[in-house]
Amino acid sequence: MTTTDRTTDRTTDRTATTTRPRWAMKDLVLMVVLGVVFGFAYWALVQAWNGLAILMGPAGDIAQHVLFGGWLLVAPLAIAIVRRPFAGVIAEVIASVVEVVFLGSPVGPLLFVAAAIQGAGSEIPFALTRYRRFGWGVFALSGLLGAGLVFFWSAFRFGWYGQDIFVLRLVIQCLSGIVLGGLLGKVIVNALARTGVVDNFAIGRADRP
Amino acid sequence: MRALTAAPVADSPLARRNPTVKLALLTAISLVVVLVLDPVTPAVLYLLALTAVAASARVPARTLLVAHVPFVAFALGVLVVNALARPGTVLWQAGLLRVTEEGLAVGGALAARTLLIGVLAIGFLLTTDGVALMTSLHQNARLGARVTYAILAGYRMLQEMPREWATIRHARTVRADPRHGRPPRGPRHLAGAVFTLLVVSVRKGERMAQALESRGLGLEPRTTWRPVRVTRGDWALAAGVLAVVACVLAAGAALGILEGPSALGG
Repeated sequence: MTTTDRTTDRTTDRTATTTRPRWAMKDLVLMVVLGVVFGFAYWALVQAWNGLAILMGPAGDIAQHVLFGGWLLVAPLAIAIVRRPFAGVIAEVIASVVEVVFLGSPVGPLLFVAAAIQGAGSEIPFALTRYRRFGWGVFALSGLLGAGLVFFWSAFRFGWYGQDIFVLRLVIQCLSGIVLGGLLGKVIVNALARTGVVDNFAIGRADRP
Repeated sequence: MRALTAAPVADSPLARRNPTVKLALLTAISLVVVLVLDPVTPAVLYLLALTAVAASARVPARTLLVAHVPFVAFALGVLVVNALARPGTVLWQAGLLRVTEEGLAVGGALAARTLLIGVLAIGFLLTTDGVALMTSLHQNARLGARVTYAILAGYRMLQEMPREWATIRHARTVRADPRHGRPPRGPRHLAGAVFTLLVVSVRKGERMAQALESRGLGLEPRTTWRPVRVTRGDWALAAGVLAVVACVLAAGAALGILEGPSALGG
């Protein structure tokens, strides 16, 4: 399958760090698709979650940190498949746009800011390996940073500073980030690669000699 | 919460305003009130915003009330947690539970802020069509054509997703063990179904990208069929809203009730 896009005809150059002129349409749409699918899944989850949160009352406020990592998944998936700088940040922001504009999240535009911070945090470890290494450790670190960086912004937004349970919140959220936002991302990437749907993206090209 | 297949936006004064201007205002106010940490100022702003949205969006009161449910619940949770989990002057104590003055003040501020942003977001969502917003962002905010149309294609995909989901569930039900007599449930099964949805969507997305490119999307120069303009009314809306917010903040500062992030005492 050949596309006429001049950004994808790379044969010898495997490093994703060379700044190619434009994003391939395929990669852009893939990031939107990730945002849409996860947006839809989160939306379904939040519908169930809202009822549960009302029942749990204040405990729900702590429980949100347990599930937090799930919100990070879009970035590592996008980076691992597309392997371009800023893929994680763009994918996260697009996902938040889908959530706010099309699914009607009442959080409003502040979600864009949180999404950009999450994406940046998730992307740093991959950027440090120059988008060449995609092992379990890099994914775990990505989840940790994704959850850790945005925590301080959220803490400011929701007034967690100065609460008695500040450290407890941070620890739970970071653990959740490692497991749900990092390692689970690796599991999904591997499963996707096995199905063959991403063979035409950078991840498929990298695995072929 | 709007359903996935949003109803067409009804005509109203707010619906006739430029979507980009509305989004910019919503963003600006959200960012400003993040820095406000006393309960009174955001509460006043919330009452003003509620009145303005109810008057200018022409939505039924019931719709507005139902849309309030998720963030009212969230606001209550924030209020309770802050009241219980902040050190300070103890107002009430029973065993391990204690309510402090500082906790109530900060909790009230955060709850009022949640309500304010929530009601503005509802006003925005109820009066703005998603496609109109993307078109306006493309024309008024210089968002690239390829990104715009990629997101719009994603929006179409999202609208079809409930049907796609039902198809996957039906297929799995057919293949399930008939002796159980009911469709399979449980987290493992759900995760499998979500993964299937992801794979199907990635495949569909690749086809969509090729279709868009083969029709010449991304070629320059582009012409626009229906230009979206920022009119005098939009500027008036922006000026009015910003003036009201500035007045409330100034009044709060003059009366000495306005508090900044230092109230957190982190």
